[in-house]
Amino acid sequence: MAKRLIKLTFPKDLIKKPITFQMAKKFDVMPNIRRAKITEEIGEIMLELEGADQNLDKGVAYLKKEGVIVEPIVGDIIE
Amino acid sequence: MSCVKGLKCRECGRPYPKEALFVCEYCFGPLEVDYDYDRIKQVLTREAISARPKNLWRYRELLPIDGDPTDGLNSGFTPLIRARNLEKALGVRELYIKDDSVSHPTLSFKDRVVAVALSKAKEFGFDTVACASTGNLANSVACQSAIAGLKRYIFIPADLEAGKIIGTLIYNPTLVAVEGNYDEVNRLCSEVASKYNWAFVNINIRPYYAEGSKTYGYEILEQLGWKAPRHIVVPCAGGSLITKIWKSIREFEKLGLIEKAHTKVYAAQAAGCAPIVTAIKENSEIIKPVKPKTIAKSLAIGNPADGIYAAATARDSGGGGEDVSDDEIVEAIKLLAQTEGIFTETAGGVTLGAAKKLIENGKIPKDESIVVSITGNGLKTQEAVADKIGKPIRIKPNIASFEEHVRRH
Repeated sequence: MAKRLIKLTFPKDLIKKPITFQMAKKFDVMPNIRRAKITEEIGEIMLELEGADQNLDKGVAYLKKEGVIVEPIVGDIIE
Repeated sequence: MSCVKGLKCRECGRPYPKEALFVCEYCFGPLEVDYDYDRIKQVLTREAISARPKNLWRYRELLPIDGDPTDGLNSGFTPLIRARNLEKALGVRELYIKDDSVSHPTLSFKDRVVAVALSKAKEFGFDTVACASTGNLANSVACQSAIAGLKRYIFIPADLEAGKIIGTLIYNPTLVAVEGNYDEVNRLCSEVASKYNWAFVNINIRPYYAEGSKTYGYEILEQLGWKAPRHIVVPCAGGSLITKIWKSIREFEKLGLIEKAHTKVYAAQAAGCAPIVTAIKENSEIIKPVKPKTIAKSLAIGNPADGIYAAATARDSGGGGEDVSDDEIVEAIKLLAQTEGIFTETAGGVTLGAAKKLIENGKIPKDESIVVSITGNGLKTQEAVADKIGKPIRIKPNIASFEEHVRRH
């Protein structure tokens, strides 16, 4: 089982959709939320995803396809 | 003598030991260095600092090393210039340029953070350092690790311009050009950092590396005669520098090296990549990542690691933020060169351009002291201005041609 630490950013129109849950169920990925913040305009979640490598890839691709911004927890490191 | 207690999480405050760690394993917040200020106060006085060599290590108790510094011994203490010509051009009373375009050895403020990162990496016992960069950071890591005799890996996107590659390759690192878009390069480097036991300066050494930026702030305070300016305009990429300049002021206050400061800090970004300034203007507590599109490549970070802290710093200080177009960046680069003789890179154009707008729209009063942070050298980004500064007047090698083409102008 592999783990990935990622940050998800949800635009306003996706805040009410249970996308993280759907991703977890669809691709057998276990999310472990560590920190989250939400406003009327935008939401973000810092979480760990655990699962088979190919499932993690599929899960992240699904989130991106739905419009969620998926980034490594460390932010952009190319300075 | 070490004045470092350890690391602590910026979000939840959980303490961690002095190790190559960078993220809180509970809340995934970033870790930062925790100092013993009572101990520092006993030894760090104005007199002690003044008696030391003029490099960034003159503030060593406030930097996160345990032993003696080993790198960057000729870095730091760059000029703070009273910009009288620029004062006239902008109609302000007291304006300074803190000029890291002449930083030794690679002409940008990255020499400060890399000096601290390498000294710390050696203390941890690493023999290999690495970074991912499109410019200034690559130059400085390649250069300073060559001096230190460390193995060095630099990762760049494969489509980087030749000029930027030369400034790194000359120091003979292992230069890895990754075929892929920005996000793919970013992700690969995160994976490499977690798999190999290297000192990745801005990942697993980041809490220590970032502290080097504070020296830019300490120097401003010392060079102003142990006092803080009313306004400081700072370029923002990952957002770390502005938070560290703010921290430098708070630390000098806490240690009694300056009186209570009333400094306001302002974030400067290019309009084509302004996630931090947007958050400041919209009063948002969440940074929305963007896809950068600007000539200011050294500031083109769409998902800034310290973005939320940068925005909070600007807001909490009573300052703010401003963004500028690519044309405004070029005009500001020219203005700085033609008034103060400083040829800055595009990031400097962003900072001066933003400062000019903040002054023009009344957010920075014209009769209070202002510092503009110039962090890099224009010789590295010549393509940004190459077509916008006129051309030489071509003549034949005789007086008649000179008088025909030049004297009549």
